[in-house]
Amino acid sequence: MTGPRATETEVPDDDHRGTAPDATMAQSTTDGTAGASDLVGDGLAVGYPATDEPVVECERVVIPAGEVTALVGPNGSGKSTLLKSLAGQLEPWDGAVTLDGESVYGMADKERARRIGLLSQEREEPGSLTVESLVQHGRYPYRGFLDAVSDADRAAVDRAIELAGVEDLRDRRLDGLSGGQKQLAWVAMALAQETDVLLLDEPTTFLDLHHQLHVLETVRARNAEGVTVGIVLHDIAQAARYADNLIAVKDGQLYDWGPPADVVTEGLLADVFGVDATVREGLDGPEIVPRRPLD
Amino acid sequence: MATESRELSGREIGWLNRSLLLTCVAGLAVTVLAGLVQVRFGTYEMTLPQVVGAVFDPLVWFRPNVLATFVLGDGLASALGIDTAFDLPTETLIVWNVRLPRVLVGALVGLNLALSGAVFQAVTRNELASPFILGVSSGAGLAVLLTLVVFANFAALLPVTAALGGTLAFLVVYAIAWQGGTSPVRLVLAGVIVGTVLNSMQTALFFFASDLGTVQAAIAWTTGSLTGVDWEQVRTVLPPTLLVLPGALLGARYLNVLLLGESTASALGMRVERARFLLSAVAILAAAASVAVAGIVGFVGLIVPHMVRTVVGSDYRRLMVGCVFVGPALLVATDLGARLTFQFATGAPLQLPVGIVTGLVGGPYFLYLMRRRNELGDL
Repeated sequence: MTGPRATETEVPDDDHRGTAPDATMAQSTTDGTAGASDLVGDGLAVGYPATDEPVVECERVVIPAGEVTALVGPNGSGKSTLLKSLAGQLEPWDGAVTLDGESVYGMADKERARRIGLLSQEREEPGSLTVESLVQHGRYPYRGFLDAVSDADRAAVDRAIELAGVEDLRDRRLDGLSGGQKQLAWVAMALAQETDVLLLDEPTTFLDLHHQLHVLETVRARNAEGVTVGIVLHDIAQAARYADNLIAVKDGQLYDWGPPADVVTEGLLADVFGVDATVREGLDGPEIVPRRPLD
Repeated sequence: MATESRELSGREIGWLNRSLLLTCVAGLAVTVLAGLVQVRFGTYEMTLPQVVGAVFDPLVWFRPNVLATFVLGDGLASALGIDTAFDLPTETLIVWNVRLPRVLVGALVGLNLALSGAVFQAVTRNELASPFILGVSSGAGLAVLLTLVVFANFAALLPVTAALGGTLAFLVVYAIAWQGGTSPVRLVLAGVIVGTVLNSMQTALFFFASDLGTVQAAIAWTTGSLTGVDWEQVRTVLPPTLLVLPGALLGARYLNVLLLGESTASALGMRVERARFLLSAVAILAAAASVAVAGIVGFVGLIVPHMVRTVVGSDYRRLMVGCVFVGPALLVATDLGARLTFQFATGAPLQLPVGIVTGLVGGPYFLYLMRRRNELGDL
């Protein structure tokens, strides 16, 4: 773990379940890296046009500046929806999303895309596209109507490709890559966007272990440069090892929030994930040994 | 890093690569050759050298007033104070007055249909999309027929009414296919439904036509024909083409981003709905312009982008440029076949509408697409 950690955060007690602990969150935002950006959702009610009820409701959610925050929860708990809403891609029915106090939904689209990056799961891949061309698309928010590719664009593309470790794939077509290689190419595209906040929706799902770690390492390296990271992870054990903070989501509500050591408990695994598990102190934070599903 | 950057800029010019260059050269060669052959045949016999001499006659090319008179027409040219009185050799007069406009209109129609299809394919993320299949051509066609048969006074507004009809048809198709998003197959089905209804309405209009001549013209027109086109049709199709061409070429970058999927495009700061709307408008204008002069020529908008894509890949910067050259080639070549096949086979001066030939070529190509792919229609 190289990123700064929220050391002052208190353990939220049971009273805080369902609503986020305001005081603790406010505290943790003060010790973020200077220049990095807090992403805050206030009084959110998020839903889709086709739904009658909001899918996610929460009092307050914070992706603290300069830290890696993982959103965890079972399938359909609303974590991806929450991430999309924080990214400025799904306007909440109620409440506000702010980046350093500035309304995310008030920003011009390109300006927002220069500050918040979202690597979504819903995407299309023209097979004949090369990795480099894909990464270049990450510069879209920096280019005006008739602008050519600038030196800054080229440098950003080079950096992103290097950071994601896909130099050797640079000229390869996407349809010739493995799932893991493709994912890294997409991560590189999001990196080329050079945003203050980087949000990723399940970037490790369906990848082999090697590529999972490669993706996480890349994101962590970007975080070390001061970028705020929000990441939806399917695997809570991985999230516990990897993230500075966890946000546990259950049935569209925030169940708990804080550093992994505080959030990952046997109670949480039973309540949120419906799993009987043993949690023990490991070298890199809590280790989870799942036993059996609970009814 | 520095050397890497240099390589990168080298590659960037490299989007104009070898396969694209070959495509363009081949397209241009086919267009010019087919055009020359087309120009050669007719009631006034000419040899090929005579034809080349007439088409590239310096008496036309180096005298702006002559060129302007042909392109703008006698009326407009003299109104602009251009000298419209000049003498030309008989061959040159025949070629420029009678035969060349057909080739020009064919090339412009092919260009517009190809660009229209290419844009529609990206906007709907659907390899099977084209103005014909999405019902846009039929909508524009019905509007044109209505104008010809019922509101004959508005004939001058043909491109405008065609564009309106095409837009309406596209909106209806989209509304039918929409279910919180659309899929390629649903769009095609909706397009077929709307197209069928519109075609029935076109046929129904025949019964209201006052005389047989109008009906015959209308039938030739709904099958897509270049018979009897003139400089007037060049003047009709050229202005919209001058809007479509830069629109499509500049739109290529946005189409490329749209190809990454709606979510990614939006996350990159693109206003997806607005981009789709503007690009669709370009595609509808292109389809309407060609329908207004040549009627409903099917399948060109489907085939050309697909052929070009298999050669140059799905980068729309290349694809668009390729379509600009291959679209005219396909249409001018098929029009040549439509005009001369029967003439050579039977000796009778019988011409087919070009739309029948593109249909005969396009149907099997569509079938081939269907058989080759597991995922029908995904780009």
